[in-house]
Amino acid sequence: MNLLAAAIDRPFIPGWADPANGLRPFAPELWLIVAIVAVLIVPFFTRRSNLACAATALFGLIAALLATMIVGTSDGVVGSHFRGLLVVDPVTVFFKGLLFLFVIGIILMWLCTTSMSMHEGDGPEFFTLLLGATLGMSLMASTSNLLMIFMSVELASLPSYVLAGFRKTHRVGAEASLKYVLFGAVTSSVMVYGLSMLYGLYGTLQVEELAHQMTTGSATSVALLTVAIFGLLIGIGFKISAVPFHFWCPDVFEGASIDVSAFLSVASKGAGLVLLLRILMTLASTAHWHNVPGISLSAVAIVVGVIGSITCTVGNTAAYVQTNIKRLLAYSSIAHAGYMMCALSMLLIGKGAESDLKDPASVATQAILLYLAVYLFMNLGAFTVAGLVYRQTGSEDIRDYRGLGRRSPVLALCMFCCLVSLIGLPPFAGFVAKLNLMWVLFRSGGWWIALIVVIGVNTILSAFYYFRVIRAMYLENSDAPAFFPNPLGLAISGACSVLLVLMLLGWSPLGRMTDYFSHLYFGSATVLVHEQPDMSSATASR
Amino acid sequence: MDFLNHWLLTILIFLPTVGAILVLIAKGRDAIRWTALATTLVTFALSLLLLTTFNWHQGDHYGYADAGGTVQMVQRADWIPAFNIQYLVGIDGLSFPLVILSTFVCALACIASWNIEKMTKGYMCLFLFLETGILGVFLSLDFFLFYVFFEVSLLPMYFLIGIWGGPRKEYAAIKFFLYTLLGSIGLLIVLIGTFLYSRSIVPGGTFDLVRMASPEFQHGLVGAVGHGVAITFFCLLMLGFLIKVPAVPFHTWLPDAHVEAPTPISMILAAILLKMGGYGIFRIAYPLYPQAAKAMWLLIAIIGVVSIIYGALCAMSQTDFKKLVAYSSVSHMGFVTLGAAVMTTAAVNGALFMMIAHGITSAMMFFIVGVVYDRAHHRELSRFGGLATTMPVYTGFSTVGMFANLGLPGLCGFVGEVLVLLGTFQAARSDSILIKGGFASSTQIYWLAVISCFGVILTAGYMLWTIQRIFFGPEKPEYKGFPEVNQREIVVLTPLTVMCILLGILPTVFFFTFTQKTVDGMFNLLTPASTAQVVSTQ
Repeated sequence: MNLLAAAIDRPFIPGWADPANGLRPFAPELWLIVAIVAVLIVPFFTRRSNLACAATALFGLIAALLATMIVGTSDGVVGSHFRGLLVVDPVTVFFKGLLFLFVIGIILMWLCTTSMSMHEGDGPEFFTLLLGATLGMSLMASTSNLLMIFMSVELASLPSYVLAGFRKTHRVGAEASLKYVLFGAVTSSVMVYGLSMLYGLYGTLQVEELAHQMTTGSATSVALLTVAIFGLLIGIGFKISAVPFHFWCPDVFEGASIDVSAFLSVASKGAGLVLLLRILMTLASTAHWHNVPGISLSAVAIVVGVIGSITCTVGNTAAYVQTNIKRLLAYSSIAHAGYMMCALSMLLIGKGAESDLKDPASVATQAILLYLAVYLFMNLGAFTVAGLVYRQTGSEDIRDYRGLGRRSPVLALCMFCCLVSLIGLPPFAGFVAKLNLMWVLFRSGGWWIALIVVIGVNTILSAFYYFRVIRAMYLENSDAPAFFPNPLGLAISGACSVLLVLMLLGWSPLGRMTDYFSHLYFGSATVLVHEQPDMSSATASR
Repeated sequence: MDFLNHWLLTILIFLPTVGAILVLIAKGRDAIRWTALATTLVTFALSLLLLTTFNWHQGDHYGYADAGGTVQMVQRADWIPAFNIQYLVGIDGLSFPLVILSTFVCALACIASWNIEKMTKGYMCLFLFLETGILGVFLSLDFFLFYVFFEVSLLPMYFLIGIWGGPRKEYAAIKFFLYTLLGSIGLLIVLIGTFLYSRSIVPGGTFDLVRMASPEFQHGLVGAVGHGVAITFFCLLMLGFLIKVPAVPFHTWLPDAHVEAPTPISMILAAILLKMGGYGIFRIAYPLYPQAAKAMWLLIAIIGVVSIIYGALCAMSQTDFKKLVAYSSVSHMGFVTLGAAVMTTAAVNGALFMMIAHGITSAMMFFIVGVVYDRAHHRELSRFGGLATTMPVYTGFSTVGMFANLGLPGLCGFVGEVLVLLGTFQAARSDSILIKGGFASSTQIYWLAVISCFGVILTAGYMLWTIQRIFFGPEKPEYKGFPEVNQREIVVLTPLTVMCILLGILPTVFFFTFTQKTVDGMFNLLTPASTAQVVSTQ
């Protein structure tokens, strides 16, 4: 009876399941699991209706979102749980909030773009897969255990492979799916190889303990360690489509339906970035942001920075020749992942003019979180417009955007706002995100300045291809008929565009919010081994 | 009056945006045009109100009025407190003439846009957004705000050229856009970098342009920023502004943009947008990094001189009337660059005057080209001839405009050119900033001055030749039936002609009284004495 009362009292937190609140940090994921099961059961009563499944998934996601908010505001959940398998800290709360919000957006987008073409009865599978991938991504962002890392990456990847090929009658979809599977299988196996080596070298699965042993121990083979770390980097690099593991990205985006492409463009990359962020920053904080005999942080930072700058350059230059809007946005998403990777290279205390920059982790995290928050809306808006145009014209070719400014002025305006924001120009929030990122790099000084130049040059490169779409929409004419797009889709893309302007005007609250959420939890192992200030309580009190 | 003092600048900036929204609502072509015209005219009238509120005798140094400085009517509000970014607008002698010029030319360009038939609503809307961007650039005193307006003015321009332009409009529009974007990335880097260093001087840092120019701040900045970094920042700033000016070798976007843009947009582009570059040099680049400016003076001066000569030579070889005017802009704006580089009072005054004079004459020239293009539908200089007999009134207006452009004494072009040249010669004197500081030798300066003098002759050459080719010679049969300038065209041409003459014969009344105090105040920042004073007082 008590349990029931408690359940009614705090409906989104299954704290009643365990008197010691053991499951509370896991509440958002639990709601997702409930939603997955519900999506499989509900069709029995609704004749496998797609809409019913969508509604169930939406409810599940909203519940998960609310649970995230409650978890984020409740005391005593920051820390590692289930023997280190699950980490809850402000970063995971923020990322999960964004992720669930984004997937809600994706489902709404699905309603107005691809739901009509989806075969009635395919809903249960589709939403199970979508929610499953979401679950995997949310776990990816909140674990520091090697086994769990591998599990969650696979949990995120396997449904994505199927989602990519979900348009069963499309040849390109099947090709995309196959390509994705092959690429994913190879990189996963390399990753698990690297993880097993790490376990073999240090005998532990916890990243913070690994980091501790890496930075203090000296008896390990550098070559083995390098191979192991590269294996890990390759596995995650595949998820965030870092060059040279980006080849799947354009093909999958082209082959998959537009909602799946949008989902992968933000959610999958975001989760990979947060995972990489956690691993790298744990390592660097254990080494106190300096090179130690065991491991050279500057080498890792340079590798990450160089991969980041190559990624954004390749993404931007390859986008030039694209004629398909989804491929273009795919390369654009590669470039944006590259920008964010540049911030990941802040593993050492910089030599810049700022002497107060003692904690690169929270600075880098803040930059990435803010970028992700803005990037989410830019991409959701742009993909929604692309989806609406596809639904109207049946084409994804940029040539079919000709005259859109006249045929559907509001839709074209939304696309314009999102694209200009993707370039990073005021008066849109993409400018704020990029400026914030450059500012953070500038503060670190030293060779990070080079990354700023890379980002600056890339901005100019990117302007050209984004403007090709704008040019088609406004400067070129076509006699294709005018159309009025689906109001829900228009509302989504319109809301994204308005938000992009508001986020520029409200940079201040946005910055404060990301500042607040930019604290990673580096695990108890660090605290135990080093006589440093108690990180966990410091993080919790923030 | 208090209300005006506080809010007038903000109203000026955002009134065109309100007008743009009204235009969006308006129904019918006439309603749209009249709404747009009313907006620009009201904006112009409000900017004339500045004459009553702006006190040009006030202030003895470059600083805010409440501290006895020249920058007045300041309105500030916190925008992004974490970075100390403010909504900060104000006016001084540097921006005042440019603001009046902008509202004036925008109103005239709006009249000149009367014959735009294609998508009038979109055109007028973008046009008014552009005016907001322009006024924002000239009135904002916060670096971040400046940058936002600087970029915001880019986007409407892209569409105005790209949609309503000539045959190669798409190429011209994207070229304009990418060139300016390249420059603004440089600005962005300096924006972040300067803010970073400002944090070691002011708690929390600042984007306040006036404050960053103050001797106290400069003293700290010299200590915080190494010489090499200062030079890099200065060069990046100059890259951004010189692309906009445009100076050789960054000028190639200009002829394309001008040739393809519709007449009113060419007017705005030449008369106002180019001035953003010049304004940026005087408002940002020189006050923020004066030491680097002195060290780099030779490069800037050479760019200026090359622009003067090369622009004039290019203009001479053009067969397209509009392209000729475009290259003459390059040549004339070279005087602005040169005037900034040599750092004497006369040269800087001349450069500022040149910006206004060129604003008037280039707007007029482009309109003149537009008038003849509307009738002949081509701009080939070699195919014209004998228009003086068919269109005598038009010939009269054009001749005044062209003579003003070539710098005939008594018209506005003359004052600017002469002052810049005079100032350049003065820079060779032993008490000039450059010589005293040991940055230059008088031989270098003499050479530059003498070479740039040839620019005046070349300008006279191509202008007179153009007049001859278009208006004189035997009357050609195909131009026989050309109608004389109509009333609308006279309405545009008359104020411009009047300003050409007034600025030419009464430059002090119409220009230097407004700028005097500000230029003196800014000059004090450049002289080493002021820095030395601060050091000694500390």
